[in-house]
Amino acid sequence: MSERFDDTSDEMLGRRLHAELHRHAAPARLRVSIVEAATPRSRRPMWLMPMLSAAATAMVLVLAVMPVLPRIVPADPVQRYVRAVVSEHSRAIMWGARHGEVLPTALPWLTQESGISLNRVFVGDERLEFVAAEPVYLERQRGVAIHYKDTDGHMISYVALPAAGLTVPDRERVQIERWRPALVRDSGFASWVWKQGDVGCFLVSDMVSSDDVERFKEYFVRIRVATEPVPAY
Amino acid sequence: MAMVDPDFQRQALQHLDALYNFAMYLTKRPPDADDLVQETYLRAFRFSHRFQPGTHLRAWLFQILRNTFLTFYRVRERETAVAEDGVPDWDPPMFHDAPEDDGPTLEAHTDLERAMRRLPEEFRTVLLLAEVEGLPLEEVARVMVCPVGTVKSRIFRAKERLRGLLRDYETK
Repeated sequence: MSERFDDTSDEMLGRRLHAELHRHAAPARLRVSIVEAATPRSRRPMWLMPMLSAAATAMVLVLAVMPVLPRIVPADPVQRYVRAVVSEHSRAIMWGARHGEVLPTALPWLTQESGISLNRVFVGDERLEFVAAEPVYLERQRGVAIHYKDTDGHMISYVALPAAGLTVPDRERVQIERWRPALVRDSGFASWVWKQGDVGCFLVSDMVSSDDVERFKEYFVRIRVATEPVPAY
Repeated sequence: MAMVDPDFQRQALQHLDALYNFAMYLTKRPPDADDLVQETYLRAFRFSHRFQPGTHLRAWLFQILRNTFLTFYRVRERETAVAEDGVPDWDPPMFHDAPEDDGPTLEAHTDLERAMRRLPEEFRTVLLLAEVEGLPLEEVARVMVCPVGTVKSRIFRAKERLRGLLRDYETK
């Protein structure tokens, strides 16, 4: 107990609330992320539309050789992150983890290599079996990837990366219990995207059908509840 | 999102600290408060054309924040009995009342703060808006979507409950 409560009048209590109740100031990064989220990417100059029409015509011709064109990097940062995470997930499916480490034994090493400290981590349960944990390097950021496999053989990859400026898109958000991650799809994969502090978190799998997404929501909850990543340095 | 009027954006952001403080007392966790405030601003910017210039922008923002909180953050089922002024006898289960499985919650600095956190949301909100932020009762009523008389009744009951909690702390 830090103080005594002496005066019980309504007026005095109101004054105490005004004067003594601790006021929480908004962190500076919050203002930045709000302004960034509210700012349109770029405004098109007037002459751009005719140019785009011409370019579109040319594009039709290019479509013939589309399969051999390099993939276009998305402008949206969230899409870019998701694409990188999906690539990592695909690589893990095809080739397996580079370093199949065991949790929680590998945590200190993972923290050192990834720059992400996992205060708590989901190590698997009766539905999701832990497969491997490894440091990753995606979008010019060091991060951590943890791979799980469910009882039906679906591979699920959890990836945590520093992403202070990343804004989770409001439009794609889905209410799951008390959280609202965004469901972003890319290249036939689905990814939950959410933030824990300054860390961007991604949970990827090939569970894209409506039934699968319901199960994928359960997996999100299991991992979200039990995993707490923070920047280590 | 369409281009937001820079004047509107600047005016709205002047209330960032007040909104954040309100969000902290509602959600009790900084990451949730961040999300809640960010979502509030995105909604305010998206629907800025609905704001009537000359009316109280701060109250409008508080109203969006509270509605967002109630829509997305509170458990839908309200199984508790509701009294005449619409306030349950105790706080219904909320996301932050779950076991501490979601990172650290905010530490209370004083008994007053601790007592505030234990109030039902309707009581906490009415005290924060009327006493801490100094909104006129008419604006508080607008934020809480209820008559001014109900606001007065809630303030009275909230202070009564707060006094009781503070006495409990004092005797412990």
